[in-house]
Amino acid sequence: MTDRRHLVGHAYTPYTFPVEHGKVREFALAVKDEDPVYHDVEAARAAGYRHLPVPPTFSAVTSHWAVRDVDVLRLDLRRVLAGGAEWEYLGDIVAGDVLTVRSRIADVQEKTGSRGPMTLMITEHEFVNEREETVMRMRSTVIEMGEQ
Amino acid sequence: MPDTAPGTVAPERRVGPLTRTDFVRYAGAGGDFNPIHHDETFARSAGYPSVFGHGLLTAGVLAGYAASWLGRRNLRRFTVRYVGQVWPGDTLVLSGEVLRTGTAEDGGTEVEASLEVHTEAAGRERRLVLRGGATAAYPAPALALAEGDRP
Repeated sequence: MTDRRHLVGHAYTPYTFPVEHGKVREFALAVKDEDPVYHDVEAARAAGYRHLPVPPTFSAVTSHWAVRDVDVLRLDLRRVLAGGAEWEYLGDIVAGDVLTVRSRIADVQEKTGSRGPMTLMITEHEFVNEREETVMRMRSTVIEMGEQ
Repeated sequence: MPDTAPGTVAPERRVGPLTRTDFVRYAGAGGDFNPIHHDETFARSAGYPSVFGHGLLTAGVLAGYAASWLGRRNLRRFTVRYVGQVWPGDTLVLSGEVLRTGTAEDGGTEVEASLEVHTEAAGRERRLVLRGGATAAYPAPALALAEGDRP
């Protein structure tokens, strides 16, 4: 297996992500969330938001704007599984915001599970808006199974 | 604020059955084009019987359920751990239970809940596919209001 333990602490190039009205709606539809706050600005304002808020797992959208300067993890997609994720909500994120995302590899662990050797890779992401407020933090775990 | 006594369960919600089109819609919305979720040939070459749903699709559906139960503005933390795959034709069965209720530093109430997603499909056993958790915070009732209530 590829030894990736030296990658702990690696910081990815930060990137900015504009939160777009249409994208908020599209994502809410994709996760089958019918809360009107994602679809109707009036409903969002009535609920206390400046504009459409983002659904709780919207960070998935931003991650694909990441600058892939070097894909340091070199994952084999046939052997990759999503392990889990956690989100911490510190402030509102609404359409019109511009997020800056700072990501780093927080941990790499080699383990042996019921299906053989595996590598667990934990990445941390911090989301800061255009007013320099940290509005969300997220950690995600990706698992690469060993070669058969 | 929902009923938050420990042991309180949320009304179960069913979503689905999920189709390959739902997976493709999520791929587009979320930007995750790992072919294992939409390319049948690729999924079989990796040893799977078919494509399967993105973990983040199930997580996103569960987050909406948690937000509508606990109040989306009250959500402070949401966690997921994937334990099984969601196959085309599966219906997601979402459930939640209050684990703990405590007092936050500001005098408000903090609630911790566990969440689960099972899948159901004709001819298959009900399976646990995701374990999750959520923390929600509720502000203390305004003092003036509480005093006004007194006889």
